[in-house]
Amino acid sequence: MKTPGAMSERAERHVGPTEPPAAERPSRNRAVDASMDLLNQIIRHPVDPDYALVAQRGGTPPRLRWGLALVAVLIGAMFAVSALQTTRTAPALAVERTELISRVQAAETQQDELRARATSLSTEIAKLRAAGLGTDDQAELLEAQINTLDPVVGNVAVTGPGLVITVDDAAGADQQGAGNDVRDRVLDIDLQSMVNGLWLAGAEAVAINGHRLSTLTAIRGAGDAITVDYRSLTRPYRVEAIGDSKTLQAHYVESAGGAWWNELKQNRQMRYEISSAKEITLSADPGMVLRYAKRASR
Amino acid sequence: MIPLLGLLAGIVLGLVLEPSIPQALQPYLPIAIVAAMDALFGAFRAYLEGNFNDRVFVVSFISNVLIAAAIVYVGDQIGVGSQLSTGVVVVLGIRIFTNAAAIRRALFHA
Repeated sequence: MKTPGAMSERAERHVGPTEPPAAERPSRNRAVDASMDLLNQIIRHPVDPDYALVAQRGGTPPRLRWGLALVAVLIGAMFAVSALQTTRTAPALAVERTELISRVQAAETQQDELRARATSLSTEIAKLRAAGLGTDDQAELLEAQINTLDPVVGNVAVTGPGLVITVDDAAGADQQGAGNDVRDRVLDIDLQSMVNGLWLAGAEAVAINGHRLSTLTAIRGAGDAITVDYRSLTRPYRVEAIGDSKTLQAHYVESAGGAWWNELKQNRQMRYEISSAKEITLSADPGMVLRYAKRASR
Repeated sequence: MIPLLGLLAGIVLGLVLEPSIPQALQPYLPIAIVAAMDALFGAFRAYLEGNFNDRVFVVSFISNVLIAAAIVYVGDQIGVGSQLSTGVVVVLGIRIFTNAAAIRRALFHA
Protein backbone atom coordinates (compact mmCIF):
# COMPACT_ATOMS: atom_id res chain seq x y z
CA MET A 1 0.00 0.00 0.00
CA LYS A 2 1.71 3.09 -1.16
CA THR A 3 -0.80 5.66 -0.05
CA PRO A 4 0.37 9.05 1.15
CA GLY A 5 -0.88 8.21 4.65
CA ALA A 6 1.25 5.13 4.83
CA MET A 7 4.19 7.04 3.52
CA SER A 8 3.94 9.77 6.10
CA GLU A 9 3.44 7.15 8.77
CA ARG A 10 6.63 5.45 7.73
CA ALA A 11 8.42 8.82 7.72
CA GLU A 12 7.16 9.63 11.18
CA ARG A 13 8.20 6.29 12.49
CA HIS A 14 11.59 6.84 11.03
CA VAL A 15 11.96 10.18 12.78
CA GLY A 16 10.74 9.07 16.18
CA PRO A 17 10.96 5.33 16.75
CA THR A 18 9.60 5.59 20.33
CA GLU A 19 6.33 7.20 19.19
CA PRO A 20 3.40 4.91 18.58
CA PRO A 21 2.31 4.57 14.94
CA ALA A 22 -0.13 7.20 13.79
CA ALA A 23 -2.97 4.73 13.38
CA GLU A 24 -2.92 3.86 17.07
CA ARG A 25 -2.96 7.40 18.30
CA PRO A 26 -6.36 9.03 18.73
CA SER A 27 -6.84 11.42 15.86
CA ARG A 28 -7.38 15.02 16.79
CA ASN A 29 -10.59 15.54 14.83
CA ARG A 30 -12.33 12.66 16.55
CA ALA A 31 -15.85 13.45 17.76
CA VAL A 32 -16.19 14.19 21.45
CA ASP A 33 -19.04 11.72 21.86
CA ALA A 34 -17.47 8.95 19.81
CA SER A 35 -17.83 6.58 22.72
CA MET A 36 -21.63 6.90 22.46
CA ASP A 37 -21.60 6.08 18.77
CA LEU A 38 -24.20 3.35 19.03
CA LEU A 39 -26.87 5.58 20.57
CA ASN A 40 -26.06 8.37 18.12
CA GLN A 41 -26.40 6.02 15.22
CA ILE A 42 -29.76 4.78 16.44
CA ILE A 43 -31.06 8.32 16.85
CA ARG A 44 -29.61 9.68 13.61
CA HIS A 45 -30.66 6.87 11.34
CA PRO A 46 -34.03 5.74 12.60
CA VAL A 47 -35.32 5.09 9.09
CA ASP A 48 -33.97 2.21 7.10
CA PRO A 49 -31.21 3.83 4.94
CA ASP A 50 -32.36 1.77 1.97
CA TYR A 51 -35.33 4.07 1.45
CA ALA A 52 -32.98 6.95 0.74
CA LEU A 53 -30.70 4.74 -1.35
CA VAL A 54 -33.48 3.52 -3.61
CA ALA A 55 -34.89 7.04 -3.94
CA GLN A 56 -31.44 8.33 -4.88
CA ARG A 57 -31.03 5.71 -7.54
CA GLY A 58 -33.79 7.42 -9.47
CA GLY A 59 -36.01 5.98 -12.15
CA THR A 60 -39.01 3.88 -11.24
CA PRO A 61 -37.96 1.52 -8.47
CA PRO A 62 -39.34 -2.01 -8.54
CA ARG A 63 -42.67 -2.28 -6.75
CA LEU A 64 -43.96 -5.05 -4.57
CA ARG A 65 -47.61 -4.20 -3.94
CA TRP A 66 -48.71 -7.69 -3.04
CA GLY A 67 -45.87 -8.09 -0.65
CA LEU A 68 -46.82 -4.83 1.03
CA ALA A 69 -50.43 -5.95 1.44
CA LEU A 70 -49.35 -9.33 2.73
CA VAL A 71 -46.99 -7.82 5.29
CA ALA A 72 -49.68 -5.36 6.43
CA VAL A 73 -52.14 -8.21 6.93
CA LEU A 74 -49.46 -10.14 8.80
CA ILE A 75 -48.70 -7.23 11.14
CA GLY A 76 -52.39 -6.67 11.85
CA ALA A 77 -52.88 -10.36 12.58
CA MET A 78 -49.88 -10.34 14.90
CA PHE A 79 -51.32 -7.45 16.92
CA ALA A 80 -54.72 -9.11 17.13
CA VAL A 81 -53.38 -12.52 18.11
CA SER A 82 -51.05 -11.13 20.72
CA ALA A 83 -53.75 -8.96 22.30
CA LEU A 84 -56.18 -11.87 22.24
CA GLN A 85 -53.70 -14.18 23.90
CA THR A 86 -52.85 -11.74 26.67
CA THR A 87 -56.45 -10.92 27.49
CA ARG A 88 -57.42 -14.56 27.41
CA THR A 89 -54.61 -15.84 29.62
CA ALA A 90 -55.13 -13.19 32.33
CA PRO A 91 -58.34 -14.67 33.81
CA ALA A 92 -56.92 -18.15 33.36
CA LEU A 93 -53.92 -17.19 35.48
CA ALA A 94 -56.18 -15.75 38.18
CA VAL A 95 -58.27 -18.93 38.19
CA GLU A 96 -55.13 -21.02 38.45
CA ARG A 97 -53.96 -18.96 41.41
CA THR A 98 -57.21 -19.24 43.36
CA GLU A 99 -57.28 -22.93 42.62
CA LEU A 100 -53.76 -23.34 43.99
CA ILE A 101 -54.70 -21.41 47.12
CA SER A 102 -57.75 -23.57 47.71
CA ARG A 103 -55.65 -26.68 47.16
CA VAL A 104 -53.13 -25.49 49.74
CA GLN A 105 -55.93 -24.82 52.20
CA ALA A 106 -57.48 -28.22 51.59
CA ALA A 107 -54.11 -29.88 52.11
CA GLU A 108 -53.67 -27.99 55.38
CA THR A 109 -57.04 -29.07 56.74
CA GLN A 110 -56.27 -32.62 55.67
CA GLN A 111 -52.97 -32.41 57.50
CA ASP A 112 -54.73 -31.22 60.64
CA GLU A 113 -57.20 -34.08 60.41
CA LEU A 114 -54.40 -36.58 59.92
CA ARG A 115 -52.52 -35.22 62.91
CA ALA A 116 -55.60 -35.48 65.09
CA ARG A 117 -56.10 -39.01 63.88
CA ALA A 118 -52.46 -39.86 64.59
CA THR A 119 -52.85 -38.59 68.13
CA SER A 120 -56.01 -40.60 68.76
CA LEU A 121 -54.41 -43.68 67.20
CA SER A 122 -51.36 -43.39 69.41
CA THR A 123 -53.52 -43.24 72.52
CA GLU A 124 -55.26 -46.34 71.24
CA ILE A 125 -51.88 -47.97 70.70
CA ALA A 126 -50.96 -47.18 74.27
CA LYS A 127 -54.19 -48.76 75.52
CA LEU A 128 -53.78 -51.87 73.40
CA ARG A 129 -50.17 -52.16 74.46
CA ALA A 130 -51.15 -52.03 78.09
CA ALA A 131 -53.76 -54.70 77.47
CA GLY A 132 -51.36 -56.84 75.48
CA LEU A 133 -48.54 -56.66 77.97
CA GLY A 134 -50.64 -58.33 80.63
CA THR A 135 -49.84 -58.14 84.29
CA ASP A 136 -46.70 -60.15 84.95
CA ASP A 137 -43.60 -58.58 86.51
CA GLN A 138 -41.71 -57.98 83.27
CA ALA A 139 -44.73 -56.37 81.69
CA GLU A 140 -45.12 -54.03 84.61
CA LEU A 141 -41.47 -53.08 84.38
CA LEU A 142 -41.84 -52.30 80.67
CA GLU A 143 -45.00 -50.33 81.33
CA ALA A 144 -43.19 -48.29 83.95
CA GLN A 145 -40.35 -47.62 81.51
CA ILE A 146 -42.77 -46.55 78.84
CA ASN A 147 -44.56 -44.29 81.29
CA THR A 148 -41.32 -42.58 82.23
CA LEU A 149 -39.97 -42.20 78.74
CA ASP A 150 -43.11 -41.17 76.86
CA PRO A 151 -43.48 -37.73 78.47
CA VAL A 152 -39.77 -37.06 78.09
CA VAL A 153 -39.66 -37.65 74.36
CA GLY A 154 -42.93 -35.85 73.75
CA ASN A 155 -45.02 -38.84 72.81
CA VAL A 156 -47.86 -38.09 75.22
CA ALA A 157 -49.50 -34.94 76.51
CA VAL A 158 -48.00 -33.63 79.73
CA THR A 159 -49.10 -31.19 82.39
CA GLY A 160 -47.29 -29.29 85.09
CA PRO A 161 -46.14 -25.90 86.34
CA GLY A 162 -43.97 -23.73 84.16
CA LEU A 163 -43.40 -20.57 82.17
CA VAL A 164 -45.37 -18.87 79.43
CA ILE A 165 -43.36 -16.52 77.24
CA THR A 166 -45.15 -14.38 74.68
CA VAL A 167 -43.09 -12.63 72.02
CA ASP A 168 -43.99 -10.63 68.93
CA ASP A 169 -42.43 -8.44 66.26
CA ALA A 170 -41.62 -4.86 67.16
CA ALA A 171 -44.48 -2.45 66.54
CA GLY A 172 -44.50 -1.28 62.93
CA ALA A 173 -42.21 -4.05 61.73
CA ASP A 174 -44.86 -5.36 59.35
CA GLN A 175 -45.34 -2.00 57.70
CA GLN A 176 -43.91 -1.69 54.24
CA GLY A 177 -41.61 1.17 53.42
CA ALA A 178 -38.55 2.94 54.67
CA GLY A 179 -37.33 2.16 58.14
CA ASN A 180 -38.73 -1.33 57.96
CA ASP A 181 -35.98 -3.56 59.24
CA VAL A 182 -36.20 -7.30 58.98
CA ARG A 183 -34.30 -7.48 62.25
CA ASP A 184 -37.27 -5.89 64.00
CA ARG A 185 -39.17 -9.11 63.42
CA VAL A 186 -38.96 -12.34 65.32
CA LEU A 187 -36.78 -14.71 63.33
CA ASP A 188 -36.39 -18.44 63.53
CA ILE A 189 -33.01 -18.05 65.21
CA ASP A 190 -34.63 -15.97 67.99
CA LEU A 191 -37.09 -18.75 68.78
CA GLN A 192 -34.32 -21.32 68.51
CA SER A 193 -32.15 -19.54 71.06
CA MET A 194 -35.12 -19.04 73.36
CA VAL A 195 -35.98 -22.74 73.26
CA ASN A 196 -32.35 -23.71 73.77
CA GLY A 197 -32.25 -21.40 76.78
CA LEU A 198 -35.37 -23.05 78.16
CA TRP A 199 -33.93 -26.56 77.76
CA LEU A 200 -30.73 -25.34 79.40
CA ALA A 201 -32.72 -23.89 82.29
CA GLY A 202 -34.22 -27.27 82.98
CA ALA A 203 -37.45 -27.27 81.01
CA GLU A 204 -38.89 -30.74 80.64
CA ALA A 205 -41.37 -30.04 77.86
CA VAL A 206 -41.64 -27.08 75.50
CA ALA A 207 -44.28 -26.08 72.99
CA ILE A 208 -44.51 -23.13 70.58
CA ASN A 209 -48.02 -21.96 69.69
CA GLY A 210 -49.27 -25.36 70.81
CA HIS A 211 -46.78 -27.40 68.78
CA ARG A 212 -44.92 -29.64 71.16
CA LEU A 213 -41.19 -29.78 70.58
CA SER A 214 -39.36 -33.08 70.51
CA THR A 215 -35.89 -34.12 69.49
CA LEU A 216 -37.15 -34.34 65.91
CA THR A 217 -38.71 -30.89 65.76
CA ALA A 218 -37.17 -28.29 63.50
CA ILE A 219 -37.69 -24.57 64.06
CA ARG A 220 -36.86 -22.79 60.88
CA GLY A 221 -37.80 -19.88 58.71
CA ALA A 222 -39.60 -20.51 55.44
CA GLY A 223 -40.18 -17.36 53.46
CA ASP A 224 -41.79 -14.83 55.76
CA ALA A 225 -43.06 -17.35 58.29
CA ILE A 226 -41.43 -19.41 61.00
CA THR A 227 -42.28 -23.09 60.86
CA VAL A 228 -42.25 -25.55 63.70
CA ASP A 229 -42.55 -29.16 62.66
CA TYR A 230 -43.00 -27.82 59.12
CA ARG A 231 -46.18 -25.96 60.11
CA SER A 232 -46.16 -22.20 59.77
CA LEU A 233 -46.82 -20.12 62.87
CA THR A 234 -48.80 -16.93 63.09
CA ARG A 235 -47.84 -14.03 65.34
CA PRO A 236 -47.67 -13.60 68.30
CA TYR A 237 -45.51 -16.51 69.35
CA ARG A 238 -46.43 -18.18 72.61
CA VAL A 239 -43.77 -20.45 74.05
CA GLU A 240 -44.77 -22.68 76.96
CA ALA A 241 -42.32 -24.66 79.03
CA ILE A 242 -42.89 -27.05 81.91
CA GLY A 243 -40.27 -27.18 84.59
CA ASP A 244 -39.42 -26.35 88.20
CA SER A 245 -41.43 -23.21 88.91
CA LYS A 246 -38.87 -22.03 91.46
CA THR A 247 -35.78 -22.14 89.29
CA LEU A 248 -36.90 -22.28 85.64
CA GLN A 249 -37.45 -18.56 85.14
CA ALA A 250 -34.26 -17.47 86.91
CA HIS A 251 -32.12 -19.99 85.06
CA TYR A 252 -33.71 -19.11 81.74
CA VAL A 253 -33.08 -15.39 82.18
CA GLU A 254 -29.43 -16.13 82.94
CA SER A 255 -28.99 -18.39 79.94
CA ALA A 256 -27.73 -17.28 76.53
CA GLY A 257 -31.26 -17.38 75.17
CA GLY A 258 -32.51 -15.11 77.96
CA ALA A 259 -29.67 -12.64 77.35
CA TRP A 260 -30.40 -12.73 73.61
CA TRP A 261 -34.03 -11.88 74.16
CA ASN A 262 -33.26 -9.16 76.72
CA GLU A 263 -31.17 -7.51 74.08
CA LEU A 264 -33.90 -7.91 71.46
CA LYS A 265 -36.42 -6.33 73.79
CA GLN A 266 -34.18 -3.40 74.67
CA ASN A 267 -32.67 -2.66 71.27
CA ARG A 268 -35.45 -3.72 68.94
CA GLN A 269 -38.49 -2.98 71.12
CA MET A 270 -39.95 -6.43 70.53
CA ARG A 271 -42.77 -7.62 72.70
CA TYR A 272 -41.37 -10.04 75.28
CA GLU A 273 -43.44 -11.11 78.26
CA ILE A 274 -42.59 -13.86 80.73
CA SER A 275 -45.14 -15.11 83.20
CA SER A 276 -45.18 -18.21 85.33
CA ALA A 277 -48.17 -20.53 85.27
CA LYS A 278 -49.35 -22.97 87.89
CA GLU A 279 -50.43 -25.54 85.39
CA ILE A 280 -49.77 -25.87 81.68
CA THR A 281 -50.91 -28.74 79.52
CA LEU A 282 -48.86 -29.50 76.45
CA SER A 283 -50.22 -31.84 73.82
CA ALA A 284 -48.25 -34.73 72.38
CA ASP A 285 -46.13 -34.36 69.28
CA PRO A 286 -47.91 -36.50 66.70
CA GLY A 287 -44.90 -36.55 64.44
CA MET A 288 -42.82 -38.83 66.65
CA VAL A 289 -42.12 -41.54 64.13
CA LEU A 290 -38.76 -43.08 63.44
CA ARG A 291 -38.56 -44.18 59.85
CA TYR A 292 -34.92 -45.22 59.62
CA ALA A 293 -33.56 -45.61 63.13
CA LYS A 294 -34.23 -49.00 64.73
CA ARG A 295 -33.52 -50.34 68.16
CA ALA A 296 -30.04 -51.83 68.15
CA SER A 297 -30.03 -55.56 68.99
CA ARG A 298 -28.89 -56.14 72.51
CA MET B 1 -54.21 2.96 1.39
CA ILE B 2 -53.12 -0.61 0.85
CA PRO B 3 -51.23 -0.86 4.16
CA LEU B 4 -54.12 0.59 6.19
CA LEU B 5 -56.64 -1.76 4.60
CA GLY B 6 -54.20 -4.62 5.08
CA LEU B 7 -53.72 -3.78 8.75
CA LEU B 8 -57.46 -3.66 9.36
CA ALA B 9 -57.96 -6.90 7.45
CA GLY B 10 -55.20 -8.52 9.48
CA ILE B 11 -56.70 -7.42 12.79
CA VAL B 12 -60.14 -8.67 11.77
CA LEU B 13 -58.67 -11.94 10.51
CA GLY B 14 -56.74 -12.44 13.72
CA LEU B 15 -59.80 -11.72 15.87
CA VAL B 16 -62.10 -13.93 13.82
CA LEU B 17 -59.87 -16.88 13.05
CA GLU B 18 -58.00 -16.84 16.39
CA PRO B 19 -55.03 -18.77 15.05
CA SER B 20 -53.02 -20.48 17.76
CA ILE B 21 -49.31 -19.77 17.80
CA PRO B 22 -47.07 -22.79 18.36
CA GLN B 23 -45.66 -22.86 21.88
CA ALA B 24 -42.07 -22.66 20.59
CA LEU B 25 -42.74 -19.40 18.74
CA GLN B 26 -44.64 -17.64 21.53
CA PRO B 27 -41.66 -15.89 23.17
CA TYR B 28 -40.81 -14.26 19.84
CA LEU B 29 -44.25 -12.77 19.16
CA PRO B 30 -43.80 -9.64 21.34
CA ILE B 31 -40.36 -9.00 19.88
CA ALA B 32 -41.72 -9.49 16.36
CA ILE B 33 -44.48 -6.99 17.14
CA VAL B 34 -42.00 -4.38 18.36
CA ALA B 35 -39.90 -4.93 15.23
CA ALA B 36 -43.04 -4.61 13.12
CA MET B 37 -43.97 -1.35 14.86
CA ASP B 38 -40.49 -0.06 14.17
CA ALA B 39 -40.84 -0.98 10.49
CA LEU B 40 -44.29 0.66 10.34
CA PHE B 41 -43.15 3.94 11.87
CA GLY B 42 -40.05 4.00 9.69
CA ALA B 43 -42.17 3.36 6.60
CA PHE B 44 -44.62 6.10 7.51
CA ARG B 45 -41.81 8.56 7.99
CA ALA B 46 -40.28 7.57 4.68
CA TYR B 47 -43.72 7.98 3.09
CA LEU B 48 -44.01 11.51 4.50
CA GLU B 49 -40.52 12.29 3.23
CA GLY B 50 -41.58 11.07 -0.17
CA ASN B 51 -39.22 8.16 -0.63
CA PHE B 52 -41.34 5.25 0.52
CA ASN B 53 -40.84 2.07 -1.42
CA ASP B 54 -42.88 -1.01 -0.70
CA ARG B 55 -40.14 -3.41 -1.72
CA VAL B 56 -37.73 -1.86 0.77
CA PHE B 57 -40.45 -1.97 3.40
CA VAL B 58 -41.19 -5.66 2.88
CA VAL B 59 -37.55 -6.64 2.90
CA SER B 60 -36.68 -4.48 5.93
CA PHE B 61 -39.70 -5.73 7.87
CA ILE B 62 -38.95 -9.38 7.26
CA SER B 63 -35.24 -9.02 7.95
CA ASN B 64 -35.83 -6.96 11.12
CA VAL B 65 -38.32 -9.44 12.53
CA LEU B 66 -36.05 -12.36 11.71
CA ILE B 67 -32.97 -10.70 13.20
CA ALA B 68 -34.81 -9.66 16.36
CA ALA B 69 -36.15 -13.19 16.79
CA ALA B 70 -32.70 -14.64 16.09
CA ILE B 71 -31.10 -12.39 18.72
CA VAL B 72 -33.66 -13.50 21.28
CA TYR B 73 -33.26 -17.12 20.24
CA VAL B 74 -29.48 -16.99 20.61
CA GLY B 75 -29.95 -15.24 23.95
CA ASP B 76 -32.26 -18.03 25.09
CA GLN B 77 -29.65 -20.60 24.14
CA ILE B 78 -26.89 -18.88 26.12
CA GLY B 79 -29.09 -17.97 29.06
CA VAL B 80 -29.52 -14.21 28.61
CA GLY B 81 -32.71 -14.28 26.55
CA SER B 82 -34.66 -11.83 28.69
CA GLN B 83 -31.76 -9.36 28.81
CA LEU B 84 -31.28 -9.50 25.07
CA SER B 85 -34.98 -9.03 24.41
CA THR B 86 -34.86 -6.00 26.71
CA GLY B 87 -31.96 -4.71 24.62
CA VAL B 88 -33.86 -5.24 21.38
CA VAL B 89 -36.92 -3.48 22.80
CA VAL B 90 -34.79 -0.54 23.99
CA VAL B 91 -33.06 -0.05 20.65
CA LEU B 92 -36.25 -0.42 18.62
CA GLY B 93 -38.10 1.74 21.12
CA ILE B 94 -35.61 4.59 20.66
CA ARG B 95 -36.06 4.33 16.90
CA ILE B 96 -39.84 4.29 17.23
CA PHE B 97 -39.81 7.41 19.39
CA THR B 98 -37.43 9.24 17.06
CA ASN B 99 -39.56 8.35 14.05
CA ALA B 100 -42.74 9.29 15.86
CA ALA B 101 -41.24 12.70 16.65
CA ALA B 102 -40.30 13.20 13.00
CA ILE B 103 -43.77 12.14 11.88
CA ARG B 104 -45.32 14.54 14.36
CA ARG B 105 -43.17 17.37 13.04
CA ALA B 106 -44.07 16.55 9.45
CA LEU B 107 -47.80 16.22 10.11
CA PHE B 108 -48.48 19.03 12.56
CA HIS B 109 -45.44 21.23 11.99
CA ALA B 110 -44.92 21.18 15.74
